[in-house]
Amino acid sequence: MPGPINDAAFEYLLGRAGLVLTDAEKIELKTVCDGIAAMAERVRKPRGRMAEPALTYGFAEDDLQ
Amino acid sequence: MIAAIPTIAEAARQIAAKQLSPVELTKACLDRVHALDERLHAFVHLTAERALTEARSAEAAIMASGPRGPLHGIPIGLKDIVDTKGIPTTCQSKLLQDNVPDADATCAEKLAAAGSVLMGKLTTHEFADGGPSFDLPKPPARNPWNTDHFTAGSSSGTGAAVASGMILCGIGTDTGGSIRGPAAYCGIAGLKPTYGLVSRAGVAPAAFSLDHIGPMAWNAEDCAIMLQALAGHDPRDPASANRSIPDYSSALGGGITGLKIGVIHHFHETDHKVGEATQRGITTAVETFRELGAEIREVQLSPLQDWHACGSLISIVERAAAYEEWSRTRLNDFGERMRTRLMLGAFVSGVDYLQAVRRRRELRAELKAAMAGLDVVLTAVFPNEAPKIDSLPKWDVFQQPSFMMPFNVAGYPAMSVCSGFGAGGLPVAIQLVGKPFQEAIVLRVADAFEKATPYRDRHPLAA
Repeated sequence: MPGPINDAAFEYLLGRAGLVLTDAEKIELKTVCDGIAAMAERVRKPRGRMAEPALTYGFAEDDLQ
Repeated sequence: MIAAIPTIAEAARQIAAKQLSPVELTKACLDRVHALDERLHAFVHLTAERALTEARSAEAAIMASGPRGPLHGIPIGLKDIVDTKGIPTTCQSKLLQDNVPDADATCAEKLAAAGSVLMGKLTTHEFADGGPSFDLPKPPARNPWNTDHFTAGSSSGTGAAVASGMILCGIGTDTGGSIRGPAAYCGIAGLKPTYGLVSRAGVAPAAFSLDHIGPMAWNAEDCAIMLQALAGHDPRDPASANRSIPDYSSALGGGITGLKIGVIHHFHETDHKVGEATQRGITTAVETFRELGAEIREVQLSPLQDWHACGSLISIVERAAAYEEWSRTRLNDFGERMRTRLMLGAFVSGVDYLQAVRRRRELRAELKAAMAGLDVVLTAVFPNEAPKIDSLPKWDVFQQPSFMMPFNVAGYPAMSVCSGFGAGGLPVAIQLVGKPFQEAIVLRVADAFEKATPYRDRHPLAA
């Protein structure tokens, strides 16, 4: 699992998302970033490159028109 | 004068027999709104005049040619993220205070076509997410069993209004438990149907691939009646399933002898240990099902935390995408809780999201395999009774894995059913989960449990 997010990365990600936060909000948000990282780690399982997400198209009659 | 608000099934029988007037029923519900809603805050917009007009029209039609169906003349409510033509739909947000849709959501349209009487729009967490913020245009709903306590959300107003008898049923939406949660804390029944069974068209999104629309009512029988009106293909919803719809009500009452019910013990005994009252409810359910002739088996799945992480990552990203424009331009117009949820979107990468979607497929396959040979599985909804409304953690998504999220991740139908009461006098619930499009079996098991136990005879003090 990656280490705690550093200030530069934190500011970059907020800026990229276009979010303008107060200093107090940033301090609070930084305390939960590890929670996101832990979740992101949890969904990574050994599965190999061939494991596709479940993308399906609901093709219907009007696709044939 | 109506002394006690009936269930839909009771009311429908009496209306059909011309023993109950839809106008009198609507007036009785309005009386309850006037008496209780100052404390419960279940409604954000009451449409009293319209309700009386619709009730008079229903009554005239029923007197002339009988009821259209069991919802004809029945007072209902819609969560305020459901578009209603000519009626404000604010999503409990400052951003939409002036929003008056020019068309009904499909679910609103279907309930109107069934002849129901719309009492108004019901409180929700902002855009169906974010918990009970106290900085929104209207205050959060309060639990009718004890108004110091939380209703759960986000269909908080629907839970409070049904439990207190202000309406007989209402629409809830469920992205990670927002039908089943308020149903559990408010002591009613709530069914999250299979993904795609009920159209989402015209309902504000929370997270597209996890969002479900479904019925909330006093009991399973009433949920069946409501689901009958709601289910069906809708080309306006890109994820709508095109399947034939069974008769849900006729599936009830047949008993559960021979059904195979799995219990996911590790969810509520190890992964997230529940309190005494919830465990007692689960134990009672297992014993009741066994006595009713069902076969009980053990089910093993990945840890609850895996399901929770998968659903939460998907939910965070899909919500951030849906509300990105406002997040960038009007972030401070959101309430505190919704704002915090939106901020999280910045910290989930595209690869994280796709790994969660890949994990979702694996988890879904796992549930499918685990349910082979079973009809229904059983677990908890919440670990305990409703907490106090002012004691909720702001970042709860990181603190407790949800018992409900697995079935949003998988898209399987899942229902909350009252299974007793805790030491504080508030309800607790069990969760029943079926295979895709097997709502009739879930409802049948829920109905059998309700009829074999005394919990439907108890109503909240505030009602």
